[in-house]
Amino acid sequence: MSDQSTTATQFDIKEYMIEKAAMVNQALDSAIPAKAFPQSNRLNEAMRYSLMAGGKRVRPALCLAACKIAGGLEPWALPAALATEMIHTMSLIHDDLPCMDNDDLRRGKLTCHKAFDEPTAVLAGDALLALAFETASNLSSYPVNVLPDRIARAVGELARCIGAEGLAAGQLVDLESTGLSEPVPLDKLEYIHLHKTAALLEAAVVTGAIIGGGSDEQIDRLRGYARSIGLLFQVVDDILDLTKSSEELGKTAGKDLASDKTTYPKLIGLDKSREFAEELLGQAKEQLNGFDPESAAPLVHLANYIAYRQK
Amino acid sequence: MPPRSSSASTPTPASTSFDLRSYWTSLIPVIDSELDTALTVRYPEKMYEAMRYSVFCGGAKRAPPVMCIASCELFGTPLAAALPTAAALEMIHAASHVHDDLPCMDAAPLRRGRPSTHAQYGDDVAVLVGDSLFPLGFTHVVTKTPADLVPRQALLSVLKEIARTVGCTGMAAGQLLDLTGAAASGEVEVLLVLEKKFGELAECSAVCGGMLGGAGEDDQAALRRYGRTVGVLYELVDDVLMESNGQAGKMRSNASVVRTLGMGRALELVEQLRDKAKLELQRFGDQYGDRVLPLYSFVDYAVERGFMVEGG
Repeated sequence: MSDQSTTATQFDIKEYMIEKAAMVNQALDSAIPAKAFPQSNRLNEAMRYSLMAGGKRVRPALCLAACKIAGGLEPWALPAALATEMIHTMSLIHDDLPCMDNDDLRRGKLTCHKAFDEPTAVLAGDALLALAFETASNLSSYPVNVLPDRIARAVGELARCIGAEGLAAGQLVDLESTGLSEPVPLDKLEYIHLHKTAALLEAAVVTGAIIGGGSDEQIDRLRGYARSIGLLFQVVDDILDLTKSSEELGKTAGKDLASDKTTYPKLIGLDKSREFAEELLGQAKEQLNGFDPESAAPLVHLANYIAYRQK
Repeated sequence: MPPRSSSASTPTPASTSFDLRSYWTSLIPVIDSELDTALTVRYPEKMYEAMRYSVFCGGAKRAPPVMCIASCELFGTPLAAALPTAAALEMIHAASHVHDDLPCMDAAPLRRGRPSTHAQYGDDVAVLVGDSLFPLGFTHVVTKTPADLVPRQALLSVLKEIARTVGCTGMAAGQLLDLTGAAASGEVEVLLVLEKKFGELAECSAVCGGMLGGAGEDDQAALRRYGRTVGVLYELVDDVLMESNGQAGKMRSNASVVRTLGMGRALELVEQLRDKAKLELQRFGDQYGDRVLPLYSFVDYAVERGFMVEGG
């Protein structure tokens, strides 16, 4: 442990994130195919608008770091890493639609359906989801030592985490639970976040670990890590929504309170929420014991980053 | 559409000797059973119920799965190799319908004579149903395709192909193009809408069947062109039939193809496409004999509609 903490203090997460984001941004930009025909330019523009809207690229960073900790080299997992960001963007576009959360602002910019229009936003989301799988399934974009069975397994994992067993299920239960007079019970709130938020972080980490060649036991531990930081991500989000301004967040703050949405602070109070966040951070780091400390450093710091971020 | 004597230069094999109807109707329960298992209801029940509602709409013909299976069997590869992909193609087909029907898109309150998914479950659920059916198709292909029949490399080609098909160079682009009313402006645009909105999925179905069956590159390319042509042909004939029956345009596309092209030109194109599709199959006849007959008979079915295919 002491070794890990020493390495940890030497590790510059900010620099790491900037470096990964730059690499990911460049790859994302060139991953959008040329327009199919002149009239489809609008679709490609909408995809690019949302994909390049300045996300922190947390999911790709997790995917690359997980590939490394599992024994691979970071660039091996780049196609899967890009896929997680495309899926994340797609879920934001669809989530913001008028028939869903009806948001006008995202990352300080107009949401996709506001900047374009609703049909374009629906289709841009669909096209990004498709592009994610086209990218992740593309054998020729991986180095030759990443065998097809690993890639297929990773794609299967990615698909499972985002559909009716994962991301979309979380969104549905969230929609069903919003606007009820009763607050959502704690176990249901946890279900929502484990699916709506943690599932895609899980997909990022687990696909990276599969591609990196991790053992089943390593993959299980990393899955546990991802689920803890996924839940942590949401608890912190709830806390920030309550304690920060819209300007600081780059999105509408206090929206949870206004919308009667159940959050951790509402259910267990702000102090208990902060304690819970610490607990989850501890659980996440515990899963990383036993890995090579140097390879584990990015994941340790990504967990800290998620816990202590200010927006 | 009245049967026409084929004046085409393409020799038509004795497609009458192949009973497409029996072949097709015998596959529907197999495909439906595969879909039924894939869509077992679990929590959150509403999601699975809405997914099932979208996939099991009465009388679905399962044309993409049947074309995929027929293309796979052409190479002597058993149906089991293609079945999971066949089911996935139908999930993707349903997903595209659910999103296309949304109020902000084609605003279709009905599909196959009953409320469309958003009308039944709400717009929000409909968005999520589409977003869920697509990845479920992928999970299904990866987890259910027998590894002893299909090398993982071929499986990845199939996954990539399906993704490309629905994406921004394929069906999504086609839908946006159709929404802008492009098909009203001329023949090039009409054919582009038909190719992107309808030809893509048929192309994908045929070529994925080939990939799963072990087809070489040239055979895959021929299946690709064949599938695309049949997809366009089928929709064009649909429009001709609608127009002949005096119905004002059709629900599935925002512009009446026949009105843009004129009936004479539309019928001419039907014949051209029929010939083109059959021409693509010629290479298979010598090599695979009668196994190519189902693919030939699809072409004639697309034009003649000699029977009704009714799914469960």
